[in-house]
Amino acid sequence: MIGNDIVDLNLAAVQNNWERKGFLDKVFTKYEQDLIFSSKIPFTMVWILWSMKESAYKIHVQQTSKRFFNPKKLQCKLQSETEGVVEVNGEKYVTKSGINNSFIHTIASLKNNKKILSTTFELDDTSYITQHKESYKKLIGIVSKKWKLAVKDIHIKKNKVGVPKLFLNNKKLSTSFSISHHGHYGAYAILN
Amino acid sequence: MTKEELITSLKKIVKPYIQDEDAFEKLSENTDFINDLKINSANLVDVILDVEDEFDIEIDNEAMEKMLSVKAAMEVITTKLKEK
Repeated sequence: MIGNDIVDLNLAAVQNNWERKGFLDKVFTKYEQDLIFSSKIPFTMVWILWSMKESAYKIHVQQTSKRFFNPKKLQCKLQSETEGVVEVNGEKYVTKSGINNSFIHTIASLKNNKKILSTTFELDDTSYITQHKESYKKLIGIVSKKWKLAVKDIHIKKNKVGVPKLFLNNKKLSTSFSISHHGHYGAYAILN
Repeated sequence: MTKEELITSLKKIVKPYIQDEDAFEKLSENTDFINDLKINSANLVDVILDVEDEFDIEIDNEAMEKMLSVKAAMEVITTKLKEK
């Protein structure tokens, strides 16, 4: 299984005030808060940790079929700025992040999986519906190319806990994948 | 506080963060913050903090865990108001 999350740093800077009273305590453990305040750019560390939590949560929901909202429960440990582990309810997920000036993209998997196909892309239109459609189109495009299937036969439908699943005509495919979009950026990750 | 008053007040709180106008117009007890209103999960933290400020209550992480829908938020608020 796989999860991924992308954070548009320019959007995050205006959309969320991480310095707002109460925000850090709701989201981050003491250990994570120490990481934030000891890092050179606390803002970046906030969103590295956030995307680690979010990508790990996406796998956890696939495994348990139970949704919840408690980011603090997903506990991060960092081996380096780009590699870490997230632990929740006794489960551990390995994360890898790509960081640049524009975005942070994190992929979470069950073990250090090398067979991951992942891409980030730019989105012109930042309206949610357009981004959503565009991201689905990108994923369907790559699935079509990779497995030589007709685009028109491939669909994505969300299950009852909101996890997207791939369908070939009406047959559910077992392909594990994850889609994310935020602001001007989108991303997907597929397990080969 | 009546159910309707509670919904009105929640509607005002979530408004700045919603990304689906249609779902917002149709907001009811059954509305899901993320699946329906498309509220960004980081902004859901803001919703929780705004609820705390508006109702002068403290929402612990255990209670927050359930707050994915209008209905669940209403239950948490009602419980916390009674405890005051």
